[in-house]
Amino acid sequence: MAKRAASTPLNMIGAVLATCLVAASALTVTYELTRERIIEQERAAERAALDAVLPGTGSIESAEELVASATEAAGSVTLQGVYRAYDAAGALSGWGVRVAPRGYSGPVSMVVGLDRDGSVLGVSIITMSETPGLGTKIVTQEGWIEQFVGWQGADIDASAREFDAIAGATRSSAAVRNGVTAAGRVYAEVLSAEEGGAQ
Amino acid sequence: MREWIEVFKRGISIDNPLTVLMIGLCATLAVSTKLEGALFMGLAVIFVLGMSSIIVSSIRSLVPEQVRIPVFIVIIASFVTVVDLTMKAFLPDIYTFLGVWIPLIVVNCMILGRAEAFSYHQPVRLAIADGLGMGLGFSIVIVLLAAIRELFGSGEIVFLGARLIALPGWYRPPGVLLLFPGAFLVFGFIVALAKWYNTRTSGRVVQTDAHCTIEEGVR
Repeated sequence: MAKRAASTPLNMIGAVLATCLVAASALTVTYELTRERIIEQERAAERAALDAVLPGTGSIESAEELVASATEAAGSVTLQGVYRAYDAAGALSGWGVRVAPRGYSGPVSMVVGLDRDGSVLGVSIITMSETPGLGTKIVTQEGWIEQFVGWQGADIDASAREFDAIAGATRSSAAVRNGVTAAGRVYAEVLSAEEGGAQ
Repeated sequence: MREWIEVFKRGISIDNPLTVLMIGLCATLAVSTKLEGALFMGLAVIFVLGMSSIIVSSIRSLVPEQVRIPVFIVIIASFVTVVDLTMKAFLPDIYTFLGVWIPLIVVNCMILGRAEAFSYHQPVRLAIADGLGMGLGFSIVIVLLAAIRELFGSGEIVFLGARLIALPGWYRPPGVLLLFPGAFLVFGFIVALAKWYNTRTSGRVVQTDAHCTIEEGVR
């Protein structure tokens, strides 16, 4: 067997430093190589979700300046973005709110689409880590996620009384409801006031 | 070469990390609900284990004993991050499914355990055999476990969007198979099967517990 390097201070520092240096360089290269693609994948997933919940819109733009106040309105639910949707003529047609409420085993990142009057147009889940076969029913159970369509952002708590959870996926269902109610609060407190002045 | 094959085979049979050494179980039980997820988890582990074995073994004479653990951890964490970024870029759906379990390979005791117990003391040639054998042993068991759980727990096996096998409609899948009790139940049967097989083929009783392997000659 090869002789082991002696445990002198120099050897010890040298071994750790050299390892870290090589590791750091290798990781930097990997990161640079994959960065573009990772951003692209995330954008594509988000874009697909926004398109799904805001039917028939011309273009969608991120509303960065509203994120701070919207984060406050969302309360305990993490807010990940606010989007303006325009129709083909360029007039404001609705809003996309991306939120990540806590599910059974991690955040459920989703987009809630609202029209100009704050009525929910659709909900689309981008990423989640719910229990396969149980919590994942929030996506796979036909017709379930459509129950949120028509909820009123201006009076979201009244709409939320009609909520129907999936048996065996109570906490995953509640996560989606919490996301939609947070989006409703964002509409009531921030977006509804924006509408006149924005475009 | 005989020695190489011997070391390689140990990781799959009598020193299998899951059924015999019983290390790295938490990730195994958690991600074995879907075949495709389990398969890529297995591949990720083979890559990380293989690469870290090679590196640890080739620099073993340069690393003083007192700093070996930080050095191993940096090496392992780097390979895991490479896997993490690559999967995120090219297999976003699988990455979403595996979630936190990919970064957690860093603290999987199977990987650090093999660096400590094997690669740090053995030539590169054998370290490769050990890394690949252990990784393959892990993959075979996790894929088997996931196939059983997905098929009988959800009634079908879906692989990369294509439905491979579906059970007839009258079969009502018991949801418990997809939850942790189901993982333990199925895993228990796999351990029994592996033990029966090992005892039969090696002609000796392989006694196991969480920490060591005691071999007794019975013939």
